[in-house]
Amino acid sequence: MNNKLIKAYILDCFLWSYSIIVLHMILFDRIIQGLSESNFSWHTVVIEVLVGIVVASILFFIKDFSVGRLSTGVIKPDYENSWWQKAYVYLSIFYVTITLITGFLISQVSMREFFSQQGLKGAYRIFMALAHPNFRIFEVTMFAAIETIYMALIATVIAIPAAFILSFFAARNLTRAHWFFQAIYVFLRICMNLTRSIEPLVWAIILSVWVGIGPFSGMLALMVNSVASLIKLYSEQIETIDQGPVEAMVATGAHPIQVIWYGVVPQIIMPFLSYTIYRWDTNVRMATIIGLVGGGGVGTLLMQYQMLAKWNEVGLIVVVIAFIVWAMDYASAKIREALK
Amino acid sequence: MLQIKNLSKTYPNGCKALKNITFEVKRGEFLVVIGLSGSGKSTLLRCINRIHDPTEGTVIFDGQDITGLKGKHIRLIRSQIGMVFQHFNLVPRKSVLVNVLCGKLANTSILRSIIGLFQSKDKIKALKNIDIVGLTGKERVRADNLSGGQKQRVSIARALMQDPKLLLADEPVASLDPATSHSVMKYLEKINKELGVTVICNLHFLSLVRQFASRVIALKDGELVFEGAPNEIDEDWFRRIYGEDAVEVSVR
Repeated sequence: MNNKLIKAYILDCFLWSYSIIVLHMILFDRIIQGLSESNFSWHTVVIEVLVGIVVASILFFIKDFSVGRLSTGVIKPDYENSWWQKAYVYLSIFYVTITLITGFLISQVSMREFFSQQGLKGAYRIFMALAHPNFRIFEVTMFAAIETIYMALIATVIAIPAAFILSFFAARNLTRAHWFFQAIYVFLRICMNLTRSIEPLVWAIILSVWVGIGPFSGMLALMVNSVASLIKLYSEQIETIDQGPVEAMVATGAHPIQVIWYGVVPQIIMPFLSYTIYRWDTNVRMATIIGLVGGGGVGTLLMQYQMLAKWNEVGLIVVVIAFIVWAMDYASAKIREALK
Repeated sequence: MLQIKNLSKTYPNGCKALKNITFEVKRGEFLVVIGLSGSGKSTLLRCINRIHDPTEGTVIFDGQDITGLKGKHIRLIRSQIGMVFQHFNLVPRKSVLVNVLCGKLANTSILRSIIGLFQSKDKIKALKNIDIVGLTGKERVRADNLSGGQKQRVSIARALMQDPKLLLADEPVASLDPATSHSVMKYLEKINKELGVTVICNLHFLSLVRQFASRVIALKDGELVFEGAPNEIDEDWFRRIYGEDAVEVSVR
């Protein structure tokens, strides 16, 4: 109960501080004063946060005026009054509205530029060029595309055994028994989340410095990302297994490795295959993107022609990429269906 | 052959599943454990083969105190105690034969079991045990495709692979229909009478208890409240074990 109250209070303080800062820095400075950029100072921020806390502290004790108390379940929503009779409804609408307005302002949404004469002309030129792909570079593109597919395949294949073995140590239900395995579990989870929080694009940049620009760095980037993602998918699958067969294997006096091989693996093998094929499919799509930063394959080709503004060639490459993505998508869906 | 002394089990969440249980099982007995759901029957069986560790007390199996055993030693003990479960706990996607062979995992090297290369004497034995439970012809069928009664018979055959001195049956018929229940109980009786395996079995239906048990113990809220012959459980005892409002349901 106390815990909930504290959460509710913190949420209210945050909402009010946020509202006041946004109202001042974005809406007041940009709309009313017409500045293109707010003059930022930590003093105003601190003062506004304090004002927010004061406002929140006052409204917190007035019935119906605390969104925090409602959303943490401290007060029950009353069903007797209609929604337009409740203050927190208006408050919520207010928070959402200022957030949306701020969003539009910051992302500089402008209809004028979207429909400007020059802009439309440029877009027309590029779309026309893309619609007339240059088939003279078809062979080059094809070879680059094949490079991409194989790159993705090898990245997946190398990732499978590593992810397979590590996933057992990253599954909560198998690591509960001993503190040593719990430590491995925590360590693996942290590594996995760190790895996954860095996009494969960034990995490709890092690794291309390490091993040089080309398919190898792209493959390594995909592999690193695949291992982390597959561990997550695999271990979550392991956590959903039926404990019964595991118990039965333990009861026969089997060694822990045998318990896993007979009690766990048969239950997860099909989802594992399905995830793995999906991963290959994802890797092919990512490989084209990774090529843009020098990871080799069809993406690198795309980047080269795009920098030269050769839109007809870019058009052909886009067609080839679209075909590969569609084909992989179709094939992986079919295979996964058959595995069920 | 089995002595339980002052056994208590408290789960990490504070639930006291067993309180100071003491009893003894003699070789060749068919001991039935009765009691309401949640009275600690399953926990008791799992403390015997140490799937769960008792909090207090000792379990003496075949003259050996097995309460504190670890690793290889407890696996050796477990390999001599067969177990069948309410939900059969067969390995899915594997054939009946492989499921039965799983009973021999403790005597198979890790490498051999990973590549699925069981010894041929084990395979011959598995076929014999499949025959004992009347499933000849189903060896290659996947275990998930069998009916409930057949699955339970596979799990009995798996337990027989261990040449068990003791067979633990945790509500073996609770997910089966009455007719199948009876046939599965018949197989357990056969194993008890013909192969001389001591059986400890959790049951719900008193009609089955009266028919198959050689001795009965009853648990209530984790305590041992009754110990005696099956025909000693009269109306009075029944109420004491199952509560004042209980009415006996007959299977037939």
